[in-house]
Amino acid sequence: MSNPSAPDAVLRTEHLVVQFGGLRAVNDVSLECSRGQLTGLIGPNGAGKTTFIDAVTGFLPDNASGSVALEGVEVFGRSPHRLSHDGLTRTWQTLELFDDISVRSNLEIARERLSLVGALADFFRPRRRDARVDEILELLGLEDFAAHEPRELSQGQRKLVGVGRALASASSKILLLDEPAAGLDKSETAWFGEQLRGLVDEGHTLLLVDHDMGLVLNVCDQIHMLVFGELVASGSPAEMRSDPKVIAAYLGHSGGSA
Amino acid sequence: MAAGKLPGERRLRNRPLAEQIALAVLAVVGAAWAVAALIDTPVFFQPVLFGLGTGAIVAALALGLVVAYRASGVINFGHGAIATYVTYVYVSLTDTGDYPIPPLPNPLAPIEGIGGIELVDFPTMVGMGGPMHPALAMTVALSTAAVLGLIAHYAIFRPLRYAPVLAKVVASVGIMLFLQAAVVLRFGSRAKSADPIFPNDPVDFLGVRVGQDRFWLLGTVAVGTLALWLLFRYTRFGIATRASAENERFSTLLGFNADFQAGVSWVLASVLAGLVGILVAPITGVTPNLFTVLLISSLGAALLGRMSSFVIAAAAGLMLGVLDQELFRLEFEFAWIPDIGIRRALPFVVIALAMVVRGETLPSRGAVQAERLPEAYAPPITRGRMVGYGLLAAIAFWVTVFAPFQFRSGMQNTLIGVILALSLVVVTGYVGQISLMQMALAGVAAFAVGSFGTSAGLPMLLTLPLAVLSGLGFGLIAALPSLRTRGASLAIITLASGLAIEEIFFQRSGWFGLGRTTKEAPTPEIAGIEFGTTSEFVWGDGKIPTGVFGLFLLALAIGCCVSVMRLRRSRLGEQMLAVRANERAAAAAGVNVAAIKLSAFGIASFFAALGGALTAYKLGTYAQDSFGIFVSLSVLAFAYLGGISTVGGAIMAGTLFAEGIGIVVTNEWFIDVGPYTAYVAGFFLIATAVYNNEGIDGFQRRQLVALWNRLRGRRRSAPDKPPAGVGASNE
Repeated sequence: MSNPSAPDAVLRTEHLVVQFGGLRAVNDVSLECSRGQLTGLIGPNGAGKTTFIDAVTGFLPDNASGSVALEGVEVFGRSPHRLSHDGLTRTWQTLELFDDISVRSNLEIARERLSLVGALADFFRPRRRDARVDEILELLGLEDFAAHEPRELSQGQRKLVGVGRALASASSKILLLDEPAAGLDKSETAWFGEQLRGLVDEGHTLLLVDHDMGLVLNVCDQIHMLVFGELVASGSPAEMRSDPKVIAAYLGHSGGSA
Repeated sequence: MAAGKLPGERRLRNRPLAEQIALAVLAVVGAAWAVAALIDTPVFFQPVLFGLGTGAIVAALALGLVVAYRASGVINFGHGAIATYVTYVYVSLTDTGDYPIPPLPNPLAPIEGIGGIELVDFPTMVGMGGPMHPALAMTVALSTAAVLGLIAHYAIFRPLRYAPVLAKVVASVGIMLFLQAAVVLRFGSRAKSADPIFPNDPVDFLGVRVGQDRFWLLGTVAVGTLALWLLFRYTRFGIATRASAENERFSTLLGFNADFQAGVSWVLASVLAGLVGILVAPITGVTPNLFTVLLISSLGAALLGRMSSFVIAAAAGLMLGVLDQELFRLEFEFAWIPDIGIRRALPFVVIALAMVVRGETLPSRGAVQAERLPEAYAPPITRGRMVGYGLLAAIAFWVTVFAPFQFRSGMQNTLIGVILALSLVVVTGYVGQISLMQMALAGVAAFAVGSFGTSAGLPMLLTLPLAVLSGLGFGLIAALPSLRTRGASLAIITLASGLAIEEIFFQRSGWFGLGRTTKEAPTPEIAGIEFGTTSEFVWGDGKIPTGVFGLFLLALAIGCCVSVMRLRRSRLGEQMLAVRANERAAAAAGVNVAAIKLSAFGIASFFAALGGALTAYKLGTYAQDSFGIFVSLSVLAFAYLGGISTVGGAIMAGTLFAEGIGIVVTNEWFIDVGPYTAYVAGFFLIATAVYNNEGIDGFQRRQLVALWNRLRGRRRSAPDKPPAGVGASNE
């Protein structure tokens, strides 16, 4: 993988703006995610965290503007599936799993891009089992559920399937996790955080979006904070803990949000 | 939640720029035309006055569609059929005073069928004592409409509240088939008329002489539009309905009874439909298909109004009517305009424009959750199963070659039906894209068989691929708008595409058409060996149809079934299911959603075209009526009934198919269901959509699994340990 002594930016956004009618949901956000690190993006509800991910992953082509660079290559404006092939993979707060097909197939779909020739070849001579999918299932502790449909799993396990699907992408360079801990209880969240740390230790680069300060402060290497679409603070967990702007946003001194 | 779904984004006033431009262009064209009309009034005005009549009907139907959609998020393809049914009730009451009873199943039928006797004479009409006064007849007919609305809501669409769009579309197509079949069964398919309601003395208007009833009709539509606008804008009922459409859960929490509102709206929509029919019947006369064909234009008008604006929908409806007549005049006046039925394709053009300009989806309702789609079951390949398939093929072989001739003929219909149903399994079952144009593609292939095979005299080995390619090409072109649409909008656009293909190509004879009687296919022949339905064959009793063409069909059908089974297991098949499950997530997982949809439409068009070409070879001489829009709808009906998402379902669908082996067996051994096929199919289609969306195939599979588990459970006292996590699902 990479050389950990020289952390370079896997993902860098510059002056990213998302405009909905008169509302600026994301306003001029420039930030970086370094290789092999777990970067946190926090902010109160409605701060524009999910919108930021949507914009970066190409789901808001009509509303977003700015620059998104993946390992130094400008990728802004590419379609979502193209970005996925390029290595920008994501999960969803609302999971959005493929409910009709097995957990294994959920992961397999993300494995490879399908060309016309590839599809035909596969039709006449079906592929073999993908070893990498087995690895990921094992990594996430899902190997016993490979043949099940996602609807048969617990909420925590379903979250992991979402992570696994994003990890399975053959070319994944960075994983954007949208509130993966939402809906989990305290102990599940702590356990989930450990899984994420495990992924980072394996060399993966992650961006974790959440409003659970506990989780983010515990597991992240670097944290950015959005409030009303603007980047108001960045720093290490220790710095963020003592940053008056962060405290204000979370304790409501600057006026609450909806 | 993505900010793209903020409530404000959906509202009428925040139209995207492109849509504003489109509306502005329409306004400019209208103004230009008005100026031209002032210069040469009668010539320009005549089509308008004629067109306003049709336009008023289109507009009125569009109003009803909007009412139903706003209340329950359903685009009701059966709306026109409701109008037709109520109109026939009215005509019958004023004409003879008979109230029609919808055909009911005769519980004694099996006994009568087997015994060959008739025990009771089932009533078809109830006499009401001679011709009825129009006002009274209208009351009775509109009450019928109200009851139909209540049934539609409480028995069909309320249970489907959280169902996938596919189930709703299918149910409303079922309503259309059912009511239209009921009308044909009770009244035949000939046109009927009624005594005028509006005064129809001709008047001179700007130098044109027209019946004044048109103006009355127009005025009624205008008043209706205004009334609906006021109702939905200012009354508590209307506001609550709008609130429910925005967010059902929230409005329920606020104490509104969304269900009651929807029920009232359905009654309102049905009564509107009935009223349109009754008012129009004296002016144009009525046929069983009239309102359903006009409904396609209405769907376009309602879509322009985003299924929510009464005023825009009504105005667009009127404009469609005028434009139609205006184009008719132009085609008539200027010889250089090719007579290729441009005006017939108008609804399609309007709908396509509305879709492309508007993009994305219809305003999706904030319904609580969608139920799951029918399972695309891929049976595990076991030795027992292979033996089963072999047995099935052997039986099919025997029936195809050795059974009596009527069974052989039924088998041929079934085999073609299986291929046609497979086309829907791929595009609708696997990818979730509703296509109502498959028979139009089949028709393209069919006329290509006649043109390449008979007119050009090409050998079959060239003709068949060329025919299939023609259908495939049309399918891919017609699929292009589908890349930006889905769900019910896609159903409408494919319906309109199918109608456009039918109107432009099928009505005419010659190379690019089917004509009414003219098309002929050559006898299938490869390497000097003939294998048509009349060709001699060594096996069988020698009567027509001989088994040889059936064997050809059997080989192709088996090939198609195996291909689709493999497709389901292939990577492409998995990506198709991913797109069906969740387009956004599929895109994020690297699936090229547009490419997957196009390939699905391509594969489906291939099967549809193959089915059409084979139909041509089977029939020998054929015409447009085998490939019309209503045949497309019934193909969807049978495919859904059989099981839309499995190969087994397609085989089941083929069995039930019009004059398929299942129907032949029923006719021969039990009762003659012939004239009731569409009626019964419509009924079961609704029932399947509401109560069992996996069709017959899924139903029997579950029964078999349950039986198997019970047998196994009895054999082994200790059941297998249940996999951990099962049952520990969320909620």
